[in-house]
Amino acid sequence: MPILVPDINLRIIAPALIVTVTAIVVLLGELVTPAERKRWLGYLSIAGLVVAAFAAFSLWGANASGFSGMVVADNFGLFLTLTIALSAALSILLSIPFIHAHEIDQGEYYVLLLASVAGMIVMATATDLIVIFLGLELLSLPLYILAAFQREDTRSLEAGIKYFLLGAFSSAFFLYGIALVFGATGTTNLAKIAASLAQSAGSPMLSIGVGLLMVGFAFKVALVPFHWWTPDVYDGAPTTVTAFMSVAVKAAAFGAFFRTFQFALPALALDWRAVAAVLAVLTMTLGNVAALLQSNVKRMLAYSSIAHAGYILIALVAMSANGLSSALFYLLAYTVTNLGAFGAVIALSDGARERLEIKDFAGAAREHPLVALALTICLLSLAGFPPFAGFVGKFLIFGAAVETGWAWLAVIGVLNSLVSVYFYLRPVVQMYMSEPAEGWSGIRVAPLVALALLIAVISVIALGVFPAPAIALAAGGLIR
Amino acid sequence: MLTSQFLTYVAFFVLSAIALIGAFLAVTLRNLVRAALGLILSFMGVAGIYFVLEAEFVAIVQVIIYIGAISVLILFAIMLTRGLMTSAASTQNSQWIGAAFVGMLMFAVLFFVAITTNWPLAQPHTISDLIPRLGADLVTTYLLPFEAVSLLLLAALIGAIVIARE
Repeated sequence: MPILVPDINLRIIAPALIVTVTAIVVLLGELVTPAERKRWLGYLSIAGLVVAAFAAFSLWGANASGFSGMVVADNFGLFLTLTIALSAALSILLSIPFIHAHEIDQGEYYVLLLASVAGMIVMATATDLIVIFLGLELLSLPLYILAAFQREDTRSLEAGIKYFLLGAFSSAFFLYGIALVFGATGTTNLAKIAASLAQSAGSPMLSIGVGLLMVGFAFKVALVPFHWWTPDVYDGAPTTVTAFMSVAVKAAAFGAFFRTFQFALPALALDWRAVAAVLAVLTMTLGNVAALLQSNVKRMLAYSSIAHAGYILIALVAMSANGLSSALFYLLAYTVTNLGAFGAVIALSDGARERLEIKDFAGAAREHPLVALALTICLLSLAGFPPFAGFVGKFLIFGAAVETGWAWLAVIGVLNSLVSVYFYLRPVVQMYMSEPAEGWSGIRVAPLVALALLIAVISVIALGVFPAPAIALAAGGLIR
Repeated sequence: MLTSQFLTYVAFFVLSAIALIGAFLAVTLRNLVRAALGLILSFMGVAGIYFVLEAEFVAIVQVIIYIGAISVLILFAIMLTRGLMTSAASTQNSQWIGAAFVGMLMFAVLFFVAITTNWPLAQPHTISDLIPRLGADLVTTYLLPFEAVSLLLLAALIGAIVIARE
C-alpha cells in the first residue's frame, strides 16, 4: 500500500488554530490563576484574538485552499474571520467586569467563548458541507453552555436548555439536508456540487436536500418562521453572551449560507431565491412588528436581530458580487453597532442588578450623558440613520437588490426600517425626556466596558462617515 | 425456490418489521425503561438492514454507537433521574395532532423522494478493502473534519463539566 500524504496547509487555518491554542492555554492557565486574577485570562484571550486577526490579515489575497479542498483562505472568509475576532474581543472586554459582578468569573467562560470562535472561523472558511456542519456544531455547543452559564438563575438555565434542544433539532435538519445533497450529487465539496449540478438536472431528492439545508441555516441565523427560540434565549442568557451570539453567530452562519447557496447551488437559484425572498419579507416584518411590542431591552434587541437577519437575506436574494460585499459590510456594521448597544445596556447596569426594562432607562441621560449618547448613536445606526454604519449597510444591500431586479424587496426593506425607528427611539426618549428613576446615584461604568463602548461607537461613526475603505475590503472579499 | 435474492427480501422484511415494531413500542409504552428497550430493538432492526444493504461498516457502527453507547446512556439517564424509573409518563400531550401532521408531512416528502429518485447502484466490494480505505481517507482527505471532531468533543467535555459541577 502506498504511503498517503495528507494535504496539510496549516497556514490557511492559522486563525482558527491560534484561537484554539489560546483556548487551551487559557484552560490550563485557569488551573494556576488565583480567583482574584481571573481577569488576566480574559486579557490573554483578547491577545490570542488579536494575533489570530493579524494571521487572517496576513493571508489577505492568498486565496489558498487546503486539506483536500475542505477549507479556503479567501478574502470572503477572512473578512468574516476579522469580523468574528472583533466581535469576540469586544464581547470579552464587556465580559470581564460583567462576569465578575455576577460571580461567574471562571476561566471556562473564555475557553468556551474561544472554542465557539474557532468553530465560527471554521464555518466561515469551510468549502465542504461536512466541515461547515462541524464548524456549526463547534460554534453552537459552547454557546449552549454559555447561555446557561448563570447557573443560579433559572432563566439562564432555561435559555441554555431551549437553545440546546432547538439547536440539536436544527442540526438534524441540516445533517439530513447534507445527506440528501450528497445522495443527489455524490459529493459534499461545494465546488464539486456546483460542477455536478452544472451538468445534470436537479432531482426531487436534491430539492428536498437543499430545502433542509436552508431550514438548518434559517434556524441558526433566526429567520422567521424558525426564530421562536431567539427572544427567550437572548433574554435568558447572560447579557454579554447575548451580545456575542447576536452578532458573531450571524457572521459565521451567514458566511456559510452565502457560500453554500450562492456558489454551490446557483443551478437551483430560481427556486431558492424565491423562497429566500419570502423568508426575508416574513423575517423583516415579523421581527420589526414584534420588536414594537417589547418592554424589555434584551427582547427588543432579540427581535431587532431577527429583523436584521431579514435585511441580510435580501443580499443573498440579490445573488451578485455587490450583494455579497454589501452583506459583508452589513455584518461588520451590525456587529459593532449591536455590540455598542449591548455594551451601553451593560454600562447602565448597577453591579449585578441589570436595568433591562425600557422604562428603567428614564433619565439616564442626566446621570450618564456619555453612555446615553453612545446608546443613542448605536440605536440610530440600527434604525439606519445617516451618518452611521447601519445606514451605509442598508443603503448597500437595498442598492444591490434594486440592481438585480428585486426593487420590491428593497421597498419592503425600507418600509420596515421606518417601522423600526419607532422602537429604537423609545429607549432614547426615555433617557432624554423622562425624569430620572430611583437609584442612579453611585453607578460607576467599568473602564473596560467604557473602552469597548468607545471602540464600538468610533467604529459605528467611522464606518458611517468614511465607509470607503471597509467597502473596498468587502468588495475584495469575493469568494474565489 | 430459495434464491439468494428471495432470501434477501425475506431478511429485509423481517428486519424492517423488527425496526418498526421497536419504534412503535418506543413511542407508545408508558414506562420509559421499556420504551428505551423498544428503541434498542428498533436500532437492531436498522443495523440488520444495513447488513442486508452490504454497508457492513455502517452496520457495525450502528451496533457499537447506537446500541452500545447511546442506548446505555439513555438507560443510565432514566435510572439516575429520580421518579422517572417507576412512574408511567403520559405519551401524549395537547400538541400530538400538530406533531402527527408534521411527522406525516415529513414521511410523505421522504417517501416521494425515495420513489422518484433514480438511485445509483454501488459497486460490489468486500469489507476487507473497505475498512482500510475508510481508515486511509480519515487521515488524508478527511483529516481536517477528523481533527475538528476532536476539538468538538473537547468543547463538549468542558461544557459538560461546567454545567454539572457543584
